[in-house]
Amino acid sequence: MLPLSSLKAWEVGVVVDINGEPGFMSRISATGFIPNTEVTMVRNWKWGPLIVFVRDTKMALGRSEAEKIMVRKNVK
Amino acid sequence: MNTTEQKTIALAGQPNTGKSTIFNRLTGSNQHTGNWPGKTVEKKEGTFEYKDQAYQMVDLPGTYSLTANSAEEIITRDYIIKENPDILVVVVDASQLERTLYLAAGISMLRVKTIVALNMVDVAEKEGRQFSPEIMGKQMGVEVIPMVASRNKGISELLEAIRESVETTNINEKSAQQEFEGDVLAQLNDIKSQIKGFVPSPYREEWAALKLLEGDEEICQIMQESLGSDRWLELSKIVNGNQSLLVASSKYEWIQKIVSASEIGTPNKKTLLAKRHKFDRVATHPVWGIFVAFGVLLLAIVVAVSFGSLGMPFLHGVSLASDGARTLLESGPEWLSSMFADGIIVGVGLAFALSFFLIGVFIVVGFLEDVGYLPRLAYVFDMFMQRLGLHGKSFMPFLMGAGCNIIGVLSTRVVDSWRQRLVTVLLIPIIPCYAVWAIVSFIGTIFFGVKTTLVVVALLMTAVIHLVITSFLLRRFIVKGKSTGLIMELPPYHKPNLKAIWTYTWINLKSYLKRGFSVIALTSLIVWFFAYFPDGNIETSFLASTGKLLNPIGSLMGCDWRLMVALIVAVAAKESALSTIAIVYGIGQGLSSVTGLAAVAPDGGVNHAVLATTLIQNISPESALAFLFALTFSVPCSATIAALYMETKSLKWTAGAAAYYTFASLVAGIIAYHMALLIF
Repeated sequence: MLPLSSLKAWEVGVVVDINGEPGFMSRISATGFIPNTEVTMVRNWKWGPLIVFVRDTKMALGRSEAEKIMVRKNVK
Repeated sequence: MNTTEQKTIALAGQPNTGKSTIFNRLTGSNQHTGNWPGKTVEKKEGTFEYKDQAYQMVDLPGTYSLTANSAEEIITRDYIIKENPDILVVVVDASQLERTLYLAAGISMLRVKTIVALNMVDVAEKEGRQFSPEIMGKQMGVEVIPMVASRNKGISELLEAIRESVETTNINEKSAQQEFEGDVLAQLNDIKSQIKGFVPSPYREEWAALKLLEGDEEICQIMQESLGSDRWLELSKIVNGNQSLLVASSKYEWIQKIVSASEIGTPNKKTLLAKRHKFDRVATHPVWGIFVAFGVLLLAIVVAVSFGSLGMPFLHGVSLASDGARTLLESGPEWLSSMFADGIIVGVGLAFALSFFLIGVFIVVGFLEDVGYLPRLAYVFDMFMQRLGLHGKSFMPFLMGAGCNIIGVLSTRVVDSWRQRLVTVLLIPIIPCYAVWAIVSFIGTIFFGVKTTLVVVALLMTAVIHLVITSFLLRRFIVKGKSTGLIMELPPYHKPNLKAIWTYTWINLKSYLKRGFSVIALTSLIVWFFAYFPDGNIETSFLASTGKLLNPIGSLMGCDWRLMVALIVAVAAKESALSTIAIVYGIGQGLSSVTGLAAVAPDGGVNHAVLATTLIQNISPESALAFLFALTFSVPCSATIAALYMETKSLKWTAGAAAYYTFASLVAGIIAYHMALLIF
């Protein structure tokens, strides 16, 4: 299990858990991040916000937001 | 005319689903905007008729879900629950179906006749995804209308579905129903049995139970009150606020069932993503993205200004009309001809000239919004804006504001969260506009020569400090609320839709004509009044005596009454400050340049060489510096104030901002003066 922010570009992961206060949880789950969802990292530089493809949407996430989402790497 | 009762349709949908396109298609120009009561969130309403039935349509704010996270979400759900619209149209985007259906899942627990508008089926099809609206409808229990709202496809089908729905009396036939299973169902039943009979109307037990499970703040509070502490304690054993993920998962399970049942064929997600990422490879690149952004914004400003210059020939007309009025009214009392020539005609002319400018801005902003580039811009500048406590989306208004504050304030429409938008709107006046730079370079060169560059740097640094402090104060004490990090959707790019851009432009222009126009014209008239009366001579006018009254404050920053008058007049238009100085030092060209014509005549009607000599003889460099600081950070010009009012729709916010910036300007002037006394 590792934070979403540590996935490299074009790596695929599956959401395991999300931490944070209730407001954040309901906002992030509304945009499609919930356990067992497959996510693809699209852009992740060392700094700044990242871009993740989740369900059928490209989402920009702040780095600290992405750190609250725990994923496991999807090794196929 | 019909005599039947008007029916109410509420329009809901997530941001970027084309909700406003549908709203504009149905209501055309029969719409008006205001604010939701007690909130600074924009409320759009419109009317239309279809087959002898009158409809009122309410455009609910775009929201991702229906929890109590933001003002937008509370407004949306309160409206549906408390105002009982006859029909609710939920817009979803076929190209991003799963996520956009999430709001529909939230709505499915509210008992309201629902129609789902499945928009952008063309985009989805191009990406290889097709859905059967019949199966989707059957799965959800409502009618699903496939649409391409931007090309007017599906609008008549939607109207027909609305008509049919109005005639249906059985609400069960027409409202969506999400079914729950397993764990969630068991917990819901548990909660329901405990709150039975305690749910205050108009809330429904089922819905309240779900919201309690989600840990919704507002509903928890309401139920805590109605249950009393003992029962609430008992309930808290199940409701601990940590089940929101579970509820969200159950909603997505429901959605997935609908999607996989109604999807024709299976799309390849890899190629879908690759297709969507083509332009974004450059547009969201940490280095190239910034180049793209500045390129786009530069082009945007050029286009906006070109439209503005279309109004220039009209300005010559203003001077002519002003002269004409003077000649025509020569025989009448002098104040009357001056009122028309220097006050009314100039003010109205200025307000008119501005509307050309605004058309350009609205077209540009409408275009960028329509094609979907703006979220990329926000992404690229997010890190920088976060330092100011703002969202990346506030970057564009700030940059546009450096050209002209009015443009900046009006382009804050791209900021979709109302709290962020209000903060951005209120911060824009800090950014010095081109008129300020023109005056700074003119007066600066006279007094400081090459060192003017240093003055400019000092002003810019002050602006940044001012931004940081004001932004902090605003967020800490005034526009309170939780500051959430970046969670922003990057929607697929769309082909620009000219009709949508034009509707956007026209509606915003109408709003300007209604709210902004009169403020600008009136300010000119008021300034004229105080500059003319009591005896037609500005040096003995009310304006001059006000300036003299301000002497105690003026002396703190080394500015005599003349400079104070110039600061006051800058409210009409910043450009007027220069021509006012010229007049009060006895070398100007008449009152019309005070009331606003300076803004429209390129040289301000002032002989610069003469003015320079006069200024050097009369003002010390310290005072000049203080004046520049006070002017740069002074109250926004009347047009910007009008724009502030248009955007916030609140006199309180507008007046508050004006008062704050007046104060800040004096502080900046006083500090600059005393620093200068130490340094020079």
